[in-house]
Amino acid sequence: MDLAFTPEEQKFREDIRTWVRANLPQDIAHKVHNALHLTRDDMQRWARILGKKGWLGYGWPKEFGGPGWSAVQKHLFEEECALAGAPRIVPFGPVMVAPVIMAFGSPEQQKRFLPGIASGEVWWSQGYSEPGSGSDLASLKTRAERKGDKYIVNGQKTWTTLAQFGEWIFCLVRTSTEGKPQTGISFLLVDMKSPGVTVRPIIMLDGGHEVNEVFFDNVEVPAENLIGEENKGWTYAKHLLSHERTNIADVNRAKRELERLKRIAKSEGVWTDTRFRDEIAKLEVDIVALEMLVLRVLSAEKSGKNPLDIAGLLKIKGSEIQQRYSELMMLAAGPYAIPFIREAMEAGYQGDYVGAAYIAPLAATYFNMRKTTIYGGSNEVQRNIVAQTVLG
Amino acid sequence: MDFNFTDDQEQLRDAVRKWVDRSYTFERRQGIARAGGFDRAAYNELAELGLTGLYVPEEHGGMGMGPVEAMVVLEELGRGIVLEPLAATLVASGVLGGYAADAVKSQWLPKVASGAALVVLAHQERKARWRLDACEATATQAGGAWKVSGDKSLVPAGDQADAFLVPAKVNGRIGLFLVERNAQGVGTRGYPTMDEARAAEVSLRDAAATLVTADGLPALEHAVDIGIACACAEGVGAIDRTMQLTAEYLNTRKQFGVTLATFQALRHRMADMKMQQELARSMSYYASLKLNAPAEERRRAMARAKYQLGVSMRFVGQHSVQLHGGIGVTDEYVGSHYFKKLTQLELQYGDTLHHLGEVSERMQDSAGVFA
Repeated sequence: MDLAFTPEEQKFREDIRTWVRANLPQDIAHKVHNALHLTRDDMQRWARILGKKGWLGYGWPKEFGGPGWSAVQKHLFEEECALAGAPRIVPFGPVMVAPVIMAFGSPEQQKRFLPGIASGEVWWSQGYSEPGSGSDLASLKTRAERKGDKYIVNGQKTWTTLAQFGEWIFCLVRTSTEGKPQTGISFLLVDMKSPGVTVRPIIMLDGGHEVNEVFFDNVEVPAENLIGEENKGWTYAKHLLSHERTNIADVNRAKRELERLKRIAKSEGVWTDTRFRDEIAKLEVDIVALEMLVLRVLSAEKSGKNPLDIAGLLKIKGSEIQQRYSELMMLAAGPYAIPFIREAMEAGYQGDYVGAAYIAPLAATYFNMRKTTIYGGSNEVQRNIVAQTVLG
Repeated sequence: MDFNFTDDQEQLRDAVRKWVDRSYTFERRQGIARAGGFDRAAYNELAELGLTGLYVPEEHGGMGMGPVEAMVVLEELGRGIVLEPLAATLVASGVLGGYAADAVKSQWLPKVASGAALVVLAHQERKARWRLDACEATATQAGGAWKVSGDKSLVPAGDQADAFLVPAKVNGRIGLFLVERNAQGVGTRGYPTMDEARAAEVSLRDAAATLVTADGLPALEHAVDIGIACACAEGVGAIDRTMQLTAEYLNTRKQFGVTLATFQALRHRMADMKMQQELARSMSYYASLKLNAPAEERRRAMARAKYQLGVSMRFVGQHSVQLHGGIGVTDEYVGSHYFKKLTQLELQYGDTLHHLGEVSERMQDSAGVFA
């Protein structure tokens, strides 16, 4: 047992740190460090910078043009990006659909789609949830009917993150109503410019436009956009979920945000209030414990023995921590968290702040973070999964 | 960064587990508990396995092993809720090995390693609570010989131990001394502890003492940190067994015609306990891996670890009892004895609120496993 990273791993970390410092635009880092609103351009600028370096698909194997990094190297890359204040990589293309295309797509599909994902040029969205299918995703109803060399898609997806920027969307669609719900689902790639695709915003409780409804009205999709075999889509989607086990915990971002919480607590005078400070101390231990949990998973992956099946625990703890730090930041501001001025949450706001500039987005972030225990399989669903591992 | 155990460590674990399973059955344990909570014969069996010499360097007849080996052993002893205080021996041998002069080491470490001498830390004073710098015992020197006076509490197996490591003040500064139990002026009053083991009040009146180190506070802090890492590992072992017992019970006991394991309210509780189990294990690893770090880093790490273990041990203990229903609150049921062990571990070497305060005091701008 050894807590320290190997000298090679530490060298790797240094190299990443140096590169990120030199290449991450400062205006973007400023927004991330202060929880200000990120535009499409911000996100895509960073994606293209990474894409040019060949690191947008940082989890990709070499044969598909990725860096071929180990689980530990991927973790170190994520950590250095997070601590430097890089925006989270929009995962739908490089992290979510790309591994499915690599594993189950045809060589033609790989050649057609992967370069645009790797470079950050093409914006992908994820079409999974539906109004009637949340936790019970397999009950989804969006139909894809085969007509000659096309599928005709009808139905509705919802909670589609950043679909207002989406150029392509990967969808789970129903191609059969026979047998179990899981066995009638297919994995289809849809060009969002196709006639019949409509994106409608859902404004969230924080006032932000982060998610959308996507409607499909007799949308024609070439049959060549089907991934793998018809009715096997559920299997492919599960493969996707088994990918990237540790970054679901988002512990690196939590470390960065803990630093911000401490800065805010000091400015607001609650750092010296034992009652408040102890709450930060609890969060600090939570974050160290979560990091240890993540490192244990990485170590198991690295050695290839004693795999740790604790993705559910990582999701639960990671999301609870995200909620807690955003909550404590808001509470640190006390009454000054009450003003809710949308414009003051944008970079470059020229108006007057109430209290201080850093307070302006705290309440909105707190509201926004309520999503974390709901999405990606609600924490109650995760508890079902965890209980299964203990009780059978 | 590697959390795998070596083959040697796995073999050590197997050896201790076999001893617990075969020789330290729950029936034997309860017999020892009824007879006072400490059995020298059982302690000698730990010595025969080499465990009392785990921290003793090879040149003094020990195994010269490190914190990870200690953790492996204590997880297994925790799994079997073994009453004999091996952790106390590791604390004492760690401090003697790290801080005593060569002559003291040569005199005591071989006896500790062989099990011939049980040496335990006797630092608790009535007014100190968890403070290590609060010490009313005093030491004086006359003609080259040291004498210690004072009262120490909660000394593990204190009326059975052969010698004590005693912090005592010399001119306002804490020194650490070794006092033999059969020395003149030493009195002990033994009693059972909540985990059914044994402790004692120890009174010292001009008792002959050997100086271990004049710079006693750093040694005492180190001793307590070894104790914390031990308590974390024992806690993980006790949690593991508690989880196993609870899962078995939920899969066996039927109400309303179905096993308890079919009820989602209980399944979710079990998932929350699993969370605490894995957080506890993670932080026990962390404690052991930080035990040889520089003092400040080590102290911060132990506070974090003991806080997490305190939370986890209480959560798993209390909810395990609850999930068992009526049988969980009986003396007859093995699980209740684990609950008591977990409760006592929380109260040793600083409870959860104390260590929260320590974490809080020691917070810096950045935090993480490596900061």
